[in-house]
Amino acid sequence: MIAAAEIETKLIDFLKREVFAPDVAVTPETDLVAAGFDSMSLVRMLVFIETDYGFWIPESEITGDALQNVRTLAETIARLLNAR
Amino acid sequence: MPADLPLNGCDYLMLGFDYELRRHGYAGNSCQIRFTLERAISVATLRQRVELLVNRYPILRARPGGWFKTQWKPLTDAKAFPQIRIHVEQSGLVERLCDEPLSVRDGELFRFDLIERSGGGMDVVFTWTHALMDAPSAEHFLAVVGREDVALPAITSVPPRPKKPLKERLLLARKNVEQLTEFCKAAPRTVGVRFPTAPKTQRYHVEKFSVEETARVRANGVKLCGALGDAQFHAAVAAMELHRLHERVGHPSPSYVLPIPVSFRPKGTVEPLFSNQVAMLMVQFLPEQLGTTSSAVGVLKTQLAQALRERRIDAGVAITELSRGMPFPLYLYVLKHHGLKGEICSFFYGDTANVTPLLTNFCGATITDFAHVGATTPSPGIGAIFYYFARAMRVTVFHLETHFSRSEAAEFAANLRKRLLEP
Repeated sequence: MIAAAEIETKLIDFLKREVFAPDVAVTPETDLVAAGFDSMSLVRMLVFIETDYGFWIPESEITGDALQNVRTLAETIARLLNAR
Repeated sequence: MPADLPLNGCDYLMLGFDYELRRHGYAGNSCQIRFTLERAISVATLRQRVELLVNRYPILRARPGGWFKTQWKPLTDAKAFPQIRIHVEQSGLVERLCDEPLSVRDGELFRFDLIERSGGGMDVVFTWTHALMDAPSAEHFLAVVGREDVALPAITSVPPRPKKPLKERLLLARKNVEQLTEFCKAAPRTVGVRFPTAPKTQRYHVEKFSVEETARVRANGVKLCGALGDAQFHAAVAAMELHRLHERVGHPSPSYVLPIPVSFRPKGTVEPLFSNQVAMLMVQFLPEQLGTTSSAVGVLKTQLAQALRERRIDAGVAITELSRGMPFPLYLYVLKHHGLKGEICSFFYGDTANVTPLLTNFCGATITDFAHVGATTPSPGIGAIFYYFARAMRVTVFHLETHFSRSEAAEFAANLRKRLLEP
């Protein structure tokens, strides 16, 4: 079992390092889209997840709800990973 | 005298294109934003605001100088620029302004043209050289000029990115060359190969969508591409319609290459950084992949993911940064002999998403309409920019009249619209 909290930490590290400006505070509750997260950021994140967890999130799971913030995204990834 | 200001790799590339286009008699590598105000504004007020910014940011009154290490050289004596001109609405004026070059080498990096409309109100045409800033920066710059309540930005140039070791940069740059070699197995052929003899008229048409239609297009994007998939949907549809247009004009191509602009500006950065912050990811569509929207979307998504796995954004940045090490004359030679042959990309595609919400008024007057006008594109001669203003989608289709007729471009725009609504 992989805990959502562990994924959350990794995602925040990635987003801070690769996507957002250094002065943007990225927390589990940060509204990603409002903070500037766009389609190319999403593809970059999907590649990061693929590299780290070995799977590509199916399109049907990339919903507005899943992308709401890091927490919802981490929960989606954890659910998919644990169901494998 | 303020110190010289460095150009980044993208600025250098943009400036190189500007020189080369100008040499061929085109307006240069410039962009335009045109917006409508509900009432006329005072030229004096605008001039005062612009002067304030120009005095604060020396890069706004500078000229590119130095052959071997090109930099922005701030000027203290070029008071003729920037120009703020006022016109009375007349037939052909907008077209003339679209084709009128900036005197970049003399320090004219941007210009305002105010057009008094006969029925009241005013159009503002803001023209800037692409080397100075990209489109999102230009939007924010306009907000800073037009609104006293928007704080002046603290950042005036981009902090240098950490440089990768030369060996790594060379290996990354090689990826780009390898990709182009791969593309050449079905080399794209554009109508723009007639570039050297083309007259210099660029025209544009803005396709407007209502808020309801915009919602439909967005829903189609989500259905085909998932959340945040709008841009991919737009690019795939543009590729499909481009293929149909080429077939209609009797100039089919073995493939179509679209450069997908990728902003490497860190997300959450809104200040106008006086610098261009866009790299290109090239994707290729074969005609048989453009049969249905879902097949075109599938091809695009696969290539984008692969491009990121192979670090092609870094490769694009490496190419532009390495190009700075080349003496400028040699760089221009490379551009002339390889970059402007009309065989690199088949379409100029831009997607600037939402116009900054700060642009609701300008110098006290409400902005009622807004349009991005494309950069000059002698090759491939056609392009489109997708964006949203006041929750409604806009697509500016621009073309060179020599490459495509006005009716062909209009038909392309109409078909694009139709397919966005009914993919």
